[in-house]
Amino acid sequence: MKSRLRRWRDALASMELTLAALGLLTVLVVFCTLDQVNLGTHGAVNKYFRSFLLYAVIPGTGWAIPVFPAGGFTGLLLVVNLVSALAYRIPLRWSKAGLWFIHVGLILLVAGEVVTGAFSRETHMSLDEGGTSNFSESLHEDELVIVDRSDPAADQVFSIPAAALADGKELRDPAWPFSLRVKAAFPSAEAGPRPLGESLPPSLADQGLGAGLILRPAPEGTNEASQPAAFVEVEAAGARLGTWLLWSGLAAEQGFSVAGKPYSMVLRKRRRYYPFSLTLKDFTHEVYPGTEIPKNFSSLVRLANPGSGEERDVLIYMNHPLRYMGQTFYQASYGKGDTLSILQVVQNPGWLLPYISFLLVCAGLGVHFVLELLKFKPAAAQSAEEGR
Amino acid sequence: MKKAFPWVLLAACLLYVLSGFRPPSGKDGVLASVGRLPVLQGGRVKPLDTVARNALMSLRGKQSVTSPAGRLEPVAWLLDQVADPGSADELKVFRIDDPDVLGLLGKRAERGRYWSLGELGGGLHELEAQAERAHRVEPAFQTRFEKAVVTLYDRIGIYFRLRRTLALAERGSSAAVIAELEAALKAGGKKGPAPKLMELAQRFGMLAEQSYFLPLLPAADEAPEAWTSVGAALLDAAGGAPLRPGVREYAALLDAHRGRDLAGVEAAARALAALAEARVPGAARKASREAFFNRLAPFSKGMALYVVVLLLASFSWLGWKPTLRDSAFWVLSLAFLLHTAGLLARMVLEGRPPVTNLYSSAVFVGWGGVLLALALERLFRLGIGSAVGAALGFCSLLIAHHLSMSGDTMEMMQAVLDSNFWLATHVITITIGYSSVFLAGALAHVYLFGRVLGRSDAPLRKALTQMTYGILCFALLFTFIGTVLGGIWADQSWGRFWGWDPKENGALLILLWVAIILHARRAGLVREKGLMVMAVFGNIVTALSWFGVNMLGIGLHSYGFMDQAALWLAVFTSSQVVVMALALLPEGRGPK
Repeated sequence: MKSRLRRWRDALASMELTLAALGLLTVLVVFCTLDQVNLGTHGAVNKYFRSFLLYAVIPGTGWAIPVFPAGGFTGLLLVVNLVSALAYRIPLRWSKAGLWFIHVGLILLVAGEVVTGAFSRETHMSLDEGGTSNFSESLHEDELVIVDRSDPAADQVFSIPAAALADGKELRDPAWPFSLRVKAAFPSAEAGPRPLGESLPPSLADQGLGAGLILRPAPEGTNEASQPAAFVEVEAAGARLGTWLLWSGLAAEQGFSVAGKPYSMVLRKRRRYYPFSLTLKDFTHEVYPGTEIPKNFSSLVRLANPGSGEERDVLIYMNHPLRYMGQTFYQASYGKGDTLSILQVVQNPGWLLPYISFLLVCAGLGVHFVLELLKFKPAAAQSAEEGR
Repeated sequence: MKKAFPWVLLAACLLYVLSGFRPPSGKDGVLASVGRLPVLQGGRVKPLDTVARNALMSLRGKQSVTSPAGRLEPVAWLLDQVADPGSADELKVFRIDDPDVLGLLGKRAERGRYWSLGELGGGLHELEAQAERAHRVEPAFQTRFEKAVVTLYDRIGIYFRLRRTLALAERGSSAAVIAELEAALKAGGKKGPAPKLMELAQRFGMLAEQSYFLPLLPAADEAPEAWTSVGAALLDAAGGAPLRPGVREYAALLDAHRGRDLAGVEAAARALAALAEARVPGAARKASREAFFNRLAPFSKGMALYVVVLLLASFSWLGWKPTLRDSAFWVLSLAFLLHTAGLLARMVLEGRPPVTNLYSSAVFVGWGGVLLALALERLFRLGIGSAVGAALGFCSLLIAHHLSMSGDTMEMMQAVLDSNFWLATHVITITIGYSSVFLAGALAHVYLFGRVLGRSDAPLRKALTQMTYGILCFALLFTFIGTVLGGIWADQSWGRFWGWDPKENGALLILLWVAIILHARRAGLVREKGLMVMAVFGNIVTALSWFGVNMLGIGLHSYGFMDQAALWLAVFTSSQVVVMALALLPEGRGPK
C-alpha cells in the first residue's frame, strides 16, 4: 500500500511528468497561436488557456466531449509537479539553491497567470477633448440598463448582464411597476436601416428605434467585440406597452412611461464607475516629419477626486501610464480626427507576481549556471593538440 | 611558411577591411560628395546615398546596377535616373520573380529576372489595370499573383517619384525651367498671371505631390524638420515668393551631370553642402557620416571574411590542421571586430540600441552567435567553434541583406516601440537567446554530419555534447530573461504582462523547447544523439518564432508580410528535418 503511494508520489515529482506538462503546454501554445487567425486573440486565449479542457463536438449530435487538456489542466499539472519535485526530489541544499529559486519562481509565474485570468479587468475609457468621464466600458461584456430618472436628486439604475438574457426570460424587480420579457436574444448581431419597399417580415419591435431597423445575427468571436441584441417586451398592469429592439450598437437610450413615470432602457457595454473623474484637456498625435509614422500619442488629463479633494494634471503617453487607486490608465487608441482619446483601464491585483517571479528565476538561473560552470572541464581540450 | 601563414593571411584580410577608408578620387570622389548631401525621407535626415541605395535595393534587391558603361553606384544611378531618363529607362532595375506577372507583361521567364522600364513599356497599362483590381482586395486575401502585381506597380511608382523629386522637367535642362518661370513671372501684368505661369504652377504642384524625399533645407526661421520638395519651392516661387536656396544648385547639378561636366557637378555639390553646413550643421555631418558608413560596408566585408573562415576551417580537416585552425580563429576574430564596428556605427548613427527592427535583429543574432562561438573556440580549440561561428555570422548577414530590401534599415520607431530602455534590455536579451539556440543547432549539425560521415571519434563527440549542452543552458537563461522582460514591458506599456500575442507565444515556444531539451537530457531520456536531434529542432522553433509569427499578420508585433521569406522559411524547416533524419542513418565508417 505504502509503496503504491510512493510510486504515485514519485510519478508526480518526476521529470517525465515535467516533460509531459511542458509538451502539453507547447502544443497548446502552438494551437492557440494558429487559432488566433480564426478566433481572435481573446477568443483563442479563452478556448486554450482560460479553460480546463478542450472540447470537440461530435458531428451530428451537438454533444461536446473533452478531447485534450487545456491551459487550466496543464497549469495545474505543472504546479503539482513543481511542488512535488521541490518537496520530494530536489534536496534542500545550498548546492541546489539555484534550482529552488527557479522552481519557486515558476510556481509564482503560473499563479500570476491564474490570478490575471480570474481577476484582471480590462476596460476602455473614451474621452473627447474637453469631455469628462468617471466610468470605463468593458470590451467584451454588455449590460441591459433600466434607468429611473423620477428622483431629481439621483437616478436609479438597474443593470442586468447581457449574457443573462435568453429567449422567453422574464425580468422583474420589486421596485418596478412593470415587467420585461425577452422575446428574442442574440449574443452578437448587426443592425441597419430597414430597406424600403421590400416585402420583409415585420420587425418584432413595434416601438422605439427598432421598428425601423433590420437585425441580422452575426458570428461571434473575432477580435472585434460582439454587439448583442434583444427584443424586449414591456408589460405593465397586465397590459402590453410594446416591444423594443435593444442593440449594443445603438448608444441611445429608449424611453417608455408607466403610470406617468418615465423610464429609459439601453443595452450597452458594461460600465464600471470610479470615485474620481478624468477630463481630457488635450490629445496629441505626433508623427515623424514628412511621414505618417506615429511618433507619440499623449493625453493630457485632469484628474479630480472629490473624495480626497485631489485635483491635478497628468500626462498619459506611450510607455507611461497613470496608476491610480488600483487602476492603470494606458494610452490605447484615438479617433475623431485626433480629438478623441481612448484609454485602456486595467485592474490586475496579480500584476506584481511576474515581477517577483522574474527576480527569483533570474537569480536561480544565474546561481545554478555559475555553480555548474565552476564544475565544468572542457572535454577533448587535450586532443586538440594532436597533429601539431 | 606554416608559421607565417596565419599572419600573412590576417594582414591581407586587414588590408581588405581598411581599403574602405581610402577616400575615392576622380569621378567616384565627385559622386561621393553628391551622396553625402542631406535630405529628409521617412521621417529622418539621411544622405542622398542612403536614399539611392535603399531605392535600388527595394527595386532590384541589389545595391548597384549594370549599365553599358559598367557598374553604376547608387548615386550615379539616381542622377542618371533624374538627368538622363532616356538611358536610365534602359537599365534593368526591376526584379520580377513572379512568372505570371511576366506573362501578363508578355515576357518569358527564361530571359531573366531583371527588366528595364523600356522593356516593360508595352505592358504597363495592363499592369495598372490589374494593380487597380488587386488594390481593392485586402492584403490578407490577395493571391500570390495579386501581391506580385501590387509590388511591381508600387516599385514603378517609386521609380517615377524618385525622378520627379529632383527633375524640374521630364526631359531637357532644369535651369531652363527656372528661367521659364522667371520669364512667366515678369510677363504677368495687371491682367493677372500669365497663362504660362498657370501651366507651370500646375506642373510644380504635381512634382510637389509626387516627391519621394525632401531635398531642400528648412529656412533659418523655420522648424528644423520643415524640409521642402523642389516642387513645393517652385510653387511658392510661382506665387511670388523668393526662390528657396538649393533649387538653383540642384538644377545646376543635374544639368552638369547631363552634360557629363564633372567639374560642374562637383561645384554644385559643394555649394549644396555649404548651404547644408550653414543651416543644419548637425544633420549635415550626420548624413555625411552615414554615407561614409555605407561606403565602408562593414557587413558585406564581414560576409566575405566569414566565407574565408569557413574555407580555412574546412581545409583544416584535410591537413595543416593547427595552422589553418589558428588562422581561422584569427580571421574570425577580425570578422567579429568588423561586425561589432558595424553594429556600433549603426548605434551611433541611429542613437539607439543595436536591435530596432527585423533587419538589425538579424545582424545582431549573427553577432551574438559569433561571440559565443569565439568563446567556445578559445575553450575547446577544435576548429569547430570557428566553423559554426563563421556559418552563423554569414547566414545572419545574408538574411539581413535580404531583409534590407524592404527599405530603410534605420527606419524610425513606431510610437509604442520608441523606448531605448526596453530596446536595450528586452530586445537584446531575447535576440542573444535566438543566437544561442541557433549556435546549439549549428553544433548539432557538426555532430550529426560528423557521425554519418564517420569523421568523429568519441572525445570529439563528448566535446560537442558539452558545447551544445552548455550553449543550451545559456539559451535558457537569455530566452527566459528576454521573454519575461518583454512581459514587463508589455505590463508597463499596455497594462498586461502576458497576452498570448503570437510573438510572445513564439518566444515562449523557444523557452519551452529549450527547457524540454534540458530536462529530457537530465532525466536521461535522451543521450548524445537525441540531444543533437532536439537541438536541430530548436533551429526550426526559433526560425518560426522569429519570422513565422510575422506572417500570421495578427497581434501587436507583426511587422508586415513577407512572401519571399515564407518560402525560405519552408526551405529552411525542411532542410532541418533532413538533418534531424541523419540520426536515423547508421554511423559512417570514415576514411581509412
